[in-house]
Amino acid sequence: MSDAKAVADRLMKVKRLNALLTPPKDLRKSLSVQAAAARPTGVLYGMPVAVKDNICTLEFTTSCGSRILEGYRSPYDATAIAKLKAAGALIAGKTNCDEFAMGSSTEHSAYGRVIHPLDKTRVPGGSSGGSAALVGAGVVPAALGSETGGSVRQPASFCGVVGIKPTYGRVSRYGLVAFGSSLDQIGVLGRSVHDAARVLSVISGRDSRDATCEDRDPLRLPTVPESLQGFVVGLPREYFPPELDPAVRRACERAVRLMKEQGAAVREVSLPHTAYAVPTYYVIAPAEASSNLARYDGVRYGPRFDGAADLRTLYRTTRGQGFGPEVRRRILVGTYVLSAGYYDAYYRRAQQMRALIAQDFRNVFDRGVDLLFTPTTPTPAFKAGEKLGDPIAMYLSDIFTVTANLAGLPAMSIPIGQVKGLPIGGQLIGQAFLEDEMIEAAYALERVVPATDEA
Amino acid sequence: MGSGWETVIGLETHVQLRTKSKMFCGCSTAFGAPPNTQVCPVCLGLPGALPQPNGAAIKLAVRAALALGCTVHPKSIFARKNYFYPDLPKGYQISQHEQPLATSGSLSFIAPERAAVTAGIIRLHVEEDAGKSIHDRFPKATAVDLNRSGVPLIEIVSAPDLRSPAEARAYLLTLKQLLEYLGISDCDMEKGSLRVDANVSIRRAGATELNTRTEVKNINSFAFVEKALTVERDRQIALVESGGSVTQQTMLYDSKENNVRPQRAKEESHDYRYFPEPDLPPLVLTPEFVAEQQSDLPELPSAKRDRFAAQYALSREHAAVLTASRTVAEYYENVVHAGAEPQAAANWVMTEALADAKDHQEELRVPAVALAQIVALVKGGTLSHQAAKRVFGEVASKGGDPRTVAEALGLVQVADANVLAGWVSDVLGAHASEVGRYKNGETKLMSFFLGQVMRASKGKADPKLAQRVLEEKLAS
Amino acid sequence: MSVTRDEVLRIARLAELDVDEDALPELADQMSRILDYVAQLSAVPANGSVKVFVPGADAIRFRADEVIPSPLAFGPKEFAPAFKEGFFVVPRLDQFE
Repeated sequence: MSDAKAVADRLMKVKRLNALLTPPKDLRKSLSVQAAAARPTGVLYGMPVAVKDNICTLEFTTSCGSRILEGYRSPYDATAIAKLKAAGALIAGKTNCDEFAMGSSTEHSAYGRVIHPLDKTRVPGGSSGGSAALVGAGVVPAALGSETGGSVRQPASFCGVVGIKPTYGRVSRYGLVAFGSSLDQIGVLGRSVHDAARVLSVISGRDSRDATCEDRDPLRLPTVPESLQGFVVGLPREYFPPELDPAVRRACERAVRLMKEQGAAVREVSLPHTAYAVPTYYVIAPAEASSNLARYDGVRYGPRFDGAADLRTLYRTTRGQGFGPEVRRRILVGTYVLSAGYYDAYYRRAQQMRALIAQDFRNVFDRGVDLLFTPTTPTPAFKAGEKLGDPIAMYLSDIFTVTANLAGLPAMSIPIGQVKGLPIGGQLIGQAFLEDEMIEAAYALERVVPATDEA
Repeated sequence: MGSGWETVIGLETHVQLRTKSKMFCGCSTAFGAPPNTQVCPVCLGLPGALPQPNGAAIKLAVRAALALGCTVHPKSIFARKNYFYPDLPKGYQISQHEQPLATSGSLSFIAPERAAVTAGIIRLHVEEDAGKSIHDRFPKATAVDLNRSGVPLIEIVSAPDLRSPAEARAYLLTLKQLLEYLGISDCDMEKGSLRVDANVSIRRAGATELNTRTEVKNINSFAFVEKALTVERDRQIALVESGGSVTQQTMLYDSKENNVRPQRAKEESHDYRYFPEPDLPPLVLTPEFVAEQQSDLPELPSAKRDRFAAQYALSREHAAVLTASRTVAEYYENVVHAGAEPQAAANWVMTEALADAKDHQEELRVPAVALAQIVALVKGGTLSHQAAKRVFGEVASKGGDPRTVAEALGLVQVADANVLAGWVSDVLGAHASEVGRYKNGETKLMSFFLGQVMRASKGKADPKLAQRVLEEKLAS
Repeated sequence: MSVTRDEVLRIARLAELDVDEDALPELADQMSRILDYVAQLSAVPANGSVKVFVPGADAIRFRADEVIPSPLAFGPKEFAPAFKEGFFVVPRLDQFE
């Protein structure tokens, strides 16, 4: 996999997916240069890793799937990118994504939607749809994505790959273009638990450039366990509601059975405030986004959509035309919930609800549960266009993933089966900074679960 | 000011902290660099950049808060203040809002009309500066320089306790002195390291409620503070006396015309949508840290002034002059510690040293030890006061040891009794009739004889000694 | 809760975003529905007894006061849309001093 030309060729073959934003010619040239310079002693030496377009790289452009950063070249590498390079990895292009990571289908990119690797009428999920599609299509062994509400795990579930979101504060956000600062984390998509985990290990660890990144050593990779003896796995009943798709339920039940067979103890638990998670998320994320996206004003970088008239026009036209409809909508909602008179009713309330949601998890983990297991998504990949009519319908596809972002907990999706030929993922949610236990359990499950079998 | 009006003024002062690097990044804060050369992803507001707080800025902020008698809060929170402006790269300023670093302090000062005044300090918080917008460099355009973006600031908000424009100025000068003593800032209004916005309202004398206030901005010197506030106060009084009422608005001071005009109406009054900064954890200060800053505080101006007056037997006014700046105060004490008599040293510092410094960028050019020697030379009679001033000037511009310089210039007074006796003899011999008149009772001729002796000695005779020799000779 | 057309315009001005006249009704409708949806949060007791949750490091770890700029591979001249004599250039602000 370390042959630069081979990687470029594989990427060319899946051009139709529209997963890659980097022109193949630029990619081929850059990969050769990178391969020649890569450190042979690095633990990821020669591994091509594709990178979501909202992570700053010196190579290629960083447009965040938006027109407002069209052609923008970052003058610095994100810390995670610097760490990948130091480990000898190759930056295998920038992947398409929902604009500024806002979306759950990668249909909100200014550069066209990404196509599901197995079914061209369906979405790969979002917002890290491009990264998930490339890994799902077997083009690269791993790719970086980002999470704010499930944007790595949900596309991982849809595309049949592994997706890991670390604990908040595990991986530096310096160079990750901010969307919801208290929720954002860089995550990893991989062909296998091992591929995803080893990339996560490399990019994790302290960074003085990110004040919210904890002062910890990089993640230590666990070994594949003999069994799941000693693990207590909780099944939160709120994630298995009566209306859950029966096929998804079957796939989960099969996975649970396999975990039991490997020695895990399984228990039903409750996370009572789960129903409030999506509304909480859709106050906090847009609020923080409305502030984080204020810097895109046409003044210092990016294109200007009307440079002439006066300053107000410059701002309003650039932002009005440079941002797509989903981003504009979220900026408006976010501005509204922070505005005078509404801050207490919305933003402050949401942060309080967030505390209750985080407390639910702590209560369960304090009672001897090591990990939680849930479906990652309520359905497999939906059809393109299906959820574009109603923003709330799109938001509800995040229903099982947003809680981990709100509580700052590590979570991952691994393929556990198929539903009518489409992949479906199962989710593990771990305790803060105990990614190694979560990954151990994932290894054990991956080894035995028939991911390509119908549920 | 007549007809029973009272002015109510509160001041918001922004002070740049004297750190080497910026508040949230490692860029230099040095003044005067070419535009947009002291910038990085953080202070440029590039996509993906994050703030990294500067510990030295917090230390200085805490010291300022302690010196102002504030309660320093062990936990405070940074917050985003959201608005759009070309020199505000992120579209928000990182500041503090609901949980600031410090609250409830005070600043005492001498006011022109009310003598001792204590103004309350409502809050002191930490924030970052914006860049600079220059409106007259390019036609129909604004030039933006982000070198200043991210420089650490403290904002000090006073209670509306000031009662006149002169008081406002006195408050600011006292604040400036305090912050200079702490080494926290240059406090230079022309350079922009100290900026002031004023809130002004009026009410009937004796009333207690506060009326609608206006905000006065664009005040660029301490002198203009007094002028701008006078103009605004008078405008409000005239308005109300003619039947109108004061509307809440921002007034800009024009120093050329000495008037204020309303800032052109903005479309929206600012809604800053403050919320806690998600990129920064809470600012937590240990008791040890705060105690360390407290013990590191230097002797503050008022304490030093009182001590000088007592310890060196100086008048209050002289003590105030000598403690106006910490540099001068320390210089004065060094002169005294080098052996100079305190009152003489005070005179020399207040007159010669400060006058010289004024012409030489505030540099105290004569080393303290050298000044002490000059004082001693005068006291011991080796130099006349006039001669000593010349020596001072020489040492100031060319350096050197005062005694050596005095000798080289031939200024050393002659105190040798034999030599003096010689001159005295010559003078008395040449003025026999005056001698006769003196011995007959015209004792005021002594100054004539003394003048003649000084002439004969070309100014080198020690006048006191010469007079004594004259008296002896004339008595015999 | 109904967000009016005028409120959408006010918020758009605060956010410096141009909004198409034609798009206003639909936008007002969508925002109303989203805000209705998130209003479920009023289930949280309003008495402030519940603290807020902030993930990440507990307290700021300070940086030493040294002049060590974060790396910038190339300067503003290379990426600014309008740059002259070392300055970013924007059209003059009409409504400001």
